[in-house]
Amino acid sequence: MKSAKAYRISFFILVFILILCLLANISMGSVSIPVKAIFSSLINGEVEKESWKYIILNYRIPKALTAILVGSGLSVSGLLMQTLFRNPLAGPFVLGISSGASLGVAILIMGTSVFGTVFSMSLISSTGIAVAASLGSFLVLMAVLIVASKVRDTMALLIIGLMFGSITTAIVSVLAYFSNTEKLQQYIFWSFGSLGNLSWNQLLIFSIISVLGIGLSILSLKNLNSLLLGENYARSLGMNLKKSRFTIIIATSILAGSVTAFAGPIAFIGLAVPHLTKQIFITNNHKVLVPAVILYGAILMLICDTIAQLPHSEYSLPINAITSIIGAPVVIWLLVRKKKMVF
Amino acid sequence: MVVSQEKENGVLIKYFIIKKNLQHSVLKVKDLSVGYSVRGKDLIIAKDINFSLQPGELIGIVGANGVGKSTLLRTLAKIQPKLNGEIEINGKNILKYKPLELASELSLVLTEKIPSKNITVIELIALGRQPYTNWIGALNKNDIRKIKEAIALVNLQELENKKCYELSDGQLQKVMISRALAQDTSLIILDEPTTHLDIYHKAYILKILKKIAFETGKTILFSSHEIDLAIQLCDKMLVMSKNKTTFGDPCSLIEEGKFNELFPKDLIEFDTKTGSFRVNQ
Amino acid sequence: MFQYKYFSICLILMLAFTGCKEKKSSSSKGVRNSDVELVDIEYAKGFTISKNSQYTSIDVLGPWPNSEESFKYVLIPKGANAPQIDYDALIEVPIDKIVVTSTTHIPALEALNEIDKLVGFPDTKYVSSEAARKRIDNGEIIELGMNESINTEILIDMKPDVVVGFSINSQNKTYDAIQRSGISVAYNGDWAEETPLGKAEWIKFFAPFFGKEKLADSIFNSIEKEYQRVKDIAKKSKSRPTVFSGAMFKDVWYMPTGESWAGQFLKDANANYLWKETKGTGSLALNFESVLEKAKNADIWLGSSQFTSYAELDDSNPHYSLFDAYKNKNIYTFSLTKGATGGILYYELAPNRPDVVLKDIIHILHPELLPNHKLFFFKPLE
Repeated sequence: MKSAKAYRISFFILVFILILCLLANISMGSVSIPVKAIFSSLINGEVEKESWKYIILNYRIPKALTAILVGSGLSVSGLLMQTLFRNPLAGPFVLGISSGASLGVAILIMGTSVFGTVFSMSLISSTGIAVAASLGSFLVLMAVLIVASKVRDTMALLIIGLMFGSITTAIVSVLAYFSNTEKLQQYIFWSFGSLGNLSWNQLLIFSIISVLGIGLSILSLKNLNSLLLGENYARSLGMNLKKSRFTIIIATSILAGSVTAFAGPIAFIGLAVPHLTKQIFITNNHKVLVPAVILYGAILMLICDTIAQLPHSEYSLPINAITSIIGAPVVIWLLVRKKKMVF
Repeated sequence: MVVSQEKENGVLIKYFIIKKNLQHSVLKVKDLSVGYSVRGKDLIIAKDINFSLQPGELIGIVGANGVGKSTLLRTLAKIQPKLNGEIEINGKNILKYKPLELASELSLVLTEKIPSKNITVIELIALGRQPYTNWIGALNKNDIRKIKEAIALVNLQELENKKCYELSDGQLQKVMISRALAQDTSLIILDEPTTHLDIYHKAYILKILKKIAFETGKTILFSSHEIDLAIQLCDKMLVMSKNKTTFGDPCSLIEEGKFNELFPKDLIEFDTKTGSFRVNQ
Repeated sequence: MFQYKYFSICLILMLAFTGCKEKKSSSSKGVRNSDVELVDIEYAKGFTISKNSQYTSIDVLGPWPNSEESFKYVLIPKGANAPQIDYDALIEVPIDKIVVTSTTHIPALEALNEIDKLVGFPDTKYVSSEAARKRIDNGEIIELGMNESINTEILIDMKPDVVVGFSINSQNKTYDAIQRSGISVAYNGDWAEETPLGKAEWIKFFAPFFGKEKLADSIFNSIEKEYQRVKDIAKKSKSRPTVFSGAMFKDVWYMPTGESWAGQFLKDANANYLWKETKGTGSLALNFESVLEKAKNADIWLGSSQFTSYAELDDSNPHYSLFDAYKNKNIYTFSLTKGATGGILYYELAPNRPDVVLKDIIHILHPELLPNHKLFFFKPLE
């Protein structure tokens, strides 16, 4: 079979582009840092200004790595959901995972004004928020899994996921209604999403979780390909439908949940990158697609972040706005150019 | 290399034995009733089904719409649970098969559309090897040989690198059959493989099924509305009418007048001489 | 609520980046009567007051930023006939019952000695004024619900003479409903005012409702005098410490512009505010690295947003520890001065007392200038 081999050159090019984007992302930012200083920072050498080295090593590089993890994690989970639900509109958050995370964060931030000061202010640190988001998405995930074990029809599961999403969204809006403005503001800022807020320690945890999620996705590769034929065929090929569905859902939740926990609800990437990849690679073979969406997701996120930082200006834009502004036209252009949607 | 050679010999020997030993039944159905279970109550669609299929046979299931052909096939394929009776595949109760074991005994061609056509023909056919491949689905030499054989049997060589969305309905049906072949099972079940096809392709597909059954010794069970074609090509037929299911070879079924009982007689009538239906003038 | 305003301003500015538009301060030329007396409003641009023998007219020109609308509130003595002019509300004064909607309105009532007329307030939880707190605890100020959605039923039942509202734009269904029920609503635009003294001057907006114009004038004049006095003292300082402000939400640093309310305090305190050249009235959304580059060596970090201790800063983001101000423990916050229920006093009182704010800042920046001043709003981080 040609599969992976035929795409070897494409993958080589993609990895090359990824490295280019990574370097571009690290070398561009609000503060102009000479290339020489960047390289000596990277090899831990002497840099004229101490703050430059700090910016490179403790701000830009963690941010770039976060972008890679976020981009690839969301893209893979989006792909898994599109295949599982046989629905091109599915994304990483269809099962209510981001709503669950939002609920966790909303309770942490805004719950204080509703439930009294159970949580002290210091709890609302970045770690606290990550933990709350993980707990929230985990609880919603558990609910979805319990339902998944009772429901035979995958489409029903999709709708149930959406319902869970609207329940949690509703609770969040009730909380928002009753909370004071500073808290609401904090919550809104969280919901804008951001990449540049992780310390090296948090990044390490994030990477471990992401690798776990991607590992589970790779374990599901074979079953994902069987699912291309639909559930009945997949079962006739010896696939244990319930077990595979569980694995796929858990992989998605780990990936999308950790991204939401560490970077906030990042829009669009999870939906768009799988389409983008399918339009370019023209295959639904997951052995090609999964590595491809990992690379595309990482590249797109790095590009978006570079643009969001508005190099050489003091300002930066919310990453969520950029992902949609940059990503949506690309997908539209690809679909229009191809005249036909391949899914 | 040595191992695969042995395997190959083993397979050949297996076929040899199967062809010799006609007593062996691939699929045996006893007092089967099929239907649905709604809130604890059984809703029987067809009952008292008895038959036994031998290796290398091509068997057609015919009957009016709604008589339970698809339900029977789905039950046989373990997509839905049976209500009563027994199903044995190669002498073993179907309930005792694990999913993966069943996948190497029974392959399917269904009426449902596949959700994703954005893969090449050969990739799709290769999916038939899933029950045999390792955790990541890597194909070994034996797998590739089986795939090539399956492609050759249905004459798909020229299409193998095309995307599935580029194919016509007839071509896609051939691909699905080829995929079932690649799964290398003793029994292939097809649900209405000829719907949506023109008369030429209907005949073509059934002809191919006949050829496969003959050449590979696989048992092929299909449902169809092409009663005349089935009569001409099938070794055995299962005629399902509202109250009764009869199994036998086409000639004796004609003699017994079973086809006359298929439909109400006000509009069409079965002509025993030509083995086809005729519209009442 | 007041805080809600800040949030809205912040959001509006974040989206539009700079919403810098000079507001035209037009004097009410419409009034031609010979006996018209225009009340002296020097700093505030959002309202004018004119008087004649029959009535007092409060014209609110800027109830919200870039407002196209203006509102005319006519105040007549009790029992007098309504004048034959167009108005948005007709109120008989002096009033007995008032409802205000922002904590910034409360200090004005307190200064005018009219806090006992306050009968209702939405979301009383974070009111810090002691006098108002006492009335709340006694049940004399009734809770009216949450934020913008005032409980109309309770309000109608209460029959206040006037509801002093605020709105972030012309869309405000709650106040429309209140007006339909026959209760007068007067919009207060203190929050849209752009200068420290301009905000404080809104005490004159409240005065005519109680017939206390003279008291309001004298209160404002003394605040203004004190403000100008310490401003002049600050001018003499030879040192101009470098200052930055705000804090990060995630990785975006919200920094007040040079023209903003907070920025003007820094200017008047003779600070070298590193973002003094920036335009607009709200906050800039800045990239962390540009803030670090510019403010790493700055002397003082004034107004560290919601953070009240170094531990909280560490917890939120390790990047903070890179600033010299952090290392030298030169960070000051207004979030440590709280009322009995935990409301931050700065939000409630600072707009009314720019003199105290300015003295705090001068004391922090130039300790030698106001040696006897005790910090009120700003406190060093714990």
